[in-house]
Amino acid sequence: MIWIIVVLAVVIILLAVWLVALYNRLIRLRVEVQTGWANIDVQLRRRYDLIPNLIEAVKGYVAHEKGVLEAVTEARTGAMSARGPAQTGTANGALASALGGLFVVAENYPDLKASSNFLQLQTELANVEEILAASRRYYNSTVGRYNATQVTVPTIFVARFGDFGPAEFFEEEDQAVRSAPQVSFDQ
Amino acid sequence: MTLQQQIRGNRWRTGLLFILFGVLIAMVLGAASFAVDLPLLIVIGVGMIVYGVVTWYASGTMVAALAGAHPVGRDSYPELWQAVEAAAIGAGLPSTPAVYVINDPAPNAFAAGRNPKHAYVAATTGLLAVMNPRELRAVMAHEIAHVRNRDVRTMALAAVLVGVLLIVSDILLRVTLFGGGRDSNPFAIIGLIVALILAPIGAMMMQMALSRRREYQADATAAEITGDAEGMAMALAVLDADKRQIHHVARATAHLYIESPLVKGRGLFGNLGGLFQTHPALDLRIAALEEAGGFMLNREAATAGLPPEALMSPSDRGE
Repeated sequence: MIWIIVVLAVVIILLAVWLVALYNRLIRLRVEVQTGWANIDVQLRRRYDLIPNLIEAVKGYVAHEKGVLEAVTEARTGAMSARGPAQTGTANGALASALGGLFVVAENYPDLKASSNFLQLQTELANVEEILAASRRYYNSTVGRYNATQVTVPTIFVARFGDFGPAEFFEEEDQAVRSAPQVSFDQ
Repeated sequence: MTLQQQIRGNRWRTGLLFILFGVLIAMVLGAASFAVDLPLLIVIGVGMIVYGVVTWYASGTMVAALAGAHPVGRDSYPELWQAVEAAAIGAGLPSTPAVYVINDPAPNAFAAGRNPKHAYVAATTGLLAVMNPRELRAVMAHEIAHVRNRDVRTMALAAVLVGVLLIVSDILLRVTLFGGGRDSNPFAIIGLIVALILAPIGAMMMQMALSRRREYQADATAAEITGDAEGMAMALAVLDADKRQIHHVARATAHLYIESPLVKGRGLFGNLGGLFQTHPALDLRIAALEEAGGFMLNREAATAGLPPEALMSPSDRGE
């Protein structure tokens, strides 16, 4: 009789330890997702901070291309007010394509292209983009792991007992690709 | 194998390594107890534990000193810092490791430190000279991969334990050969001497085997971090083509580098050399990347930018 109780107690304790370990795995993944997002956020802030300087540096040269500059400023405001990874990603995609438009315009101004201030800002922006790309890869792979863990056995059994839920991916959607002209062959 | 499994596997292997070394040391001490007095054995044992703990905590600094690496600021090496930072963030490390530079024309790099928080990566000035930005990013991602996969910790531990074992066997060998033993049984003495010679060789072979597997894994992780398997293969092709050898290198730190810093063994032990190599052949590593990434590396294009002196073997230069 005593043996049955002992065996039962051991089994229950092992089960509890196992469930706690599963729960901890989800918590750990959630923390990794949050850290990944914090990394992205730092780079996005660096990008937002560089843009006013960039516009300041460009303004004097391309005074009559106001539309391009306004588009960048607007896209920046939109990106800064976006909430959550998915929305922020879309807004930053718009910002990236507005910036792309600015750099295309800059090609037409040799003085601007030769300005050391502009070159430096361009390099800094490229550095931010590179680290942003790295943090995005890490974040998205972590989100993928986190989301998959919540819906697979055995972690699915403990996922409902905590504040979990699918995390959003962060993708900077390229507006230029999206708005690519439709090619038509009927004529 | 996913990264988490790899890290867990590394933890498990670190534990196993620790136990195996413990067994080896216990065997050596046990065999020695027939020939050496007990108080002396205890003194040696305690001394080695203290030595091991001290070298464990000082390992990062010691490796840097042995390699002639010094820390550098972001302002003096912006591209290198940028590559390290991008790789560290892409790998999800808690912080960006410190960056060290070695003044040596031969291209090479290593990572060291007992945990991700105390880790650093080091690159030679030669590496910075011959690598384009894409290749440099790949090499730094490879080093960061060693940090993230906890390879640096396992390797630091292996180096410390091998060091302890080498010293223990060395001391005991001298005591047995030249000191007055209690036991004059010649067979026991010969057995002991054989054990004392074999134990460190076994330990070193273990260290090398551990290191070789990790290089493939670090290459794969680097490709994942940068999203650029071809860049990693290009960097390896450049390392393979460049025949210059790094000057400051201690045998004990050889397993840390991205490319083996030691001249490959020839002659009597040429065929057995594989067992003592710290790194798999670069050809095999490039082939593994090509298979995983689904591309064929154009080696001539990758190595076209190398200076002529890089392609000469050491004997051609009269070294």
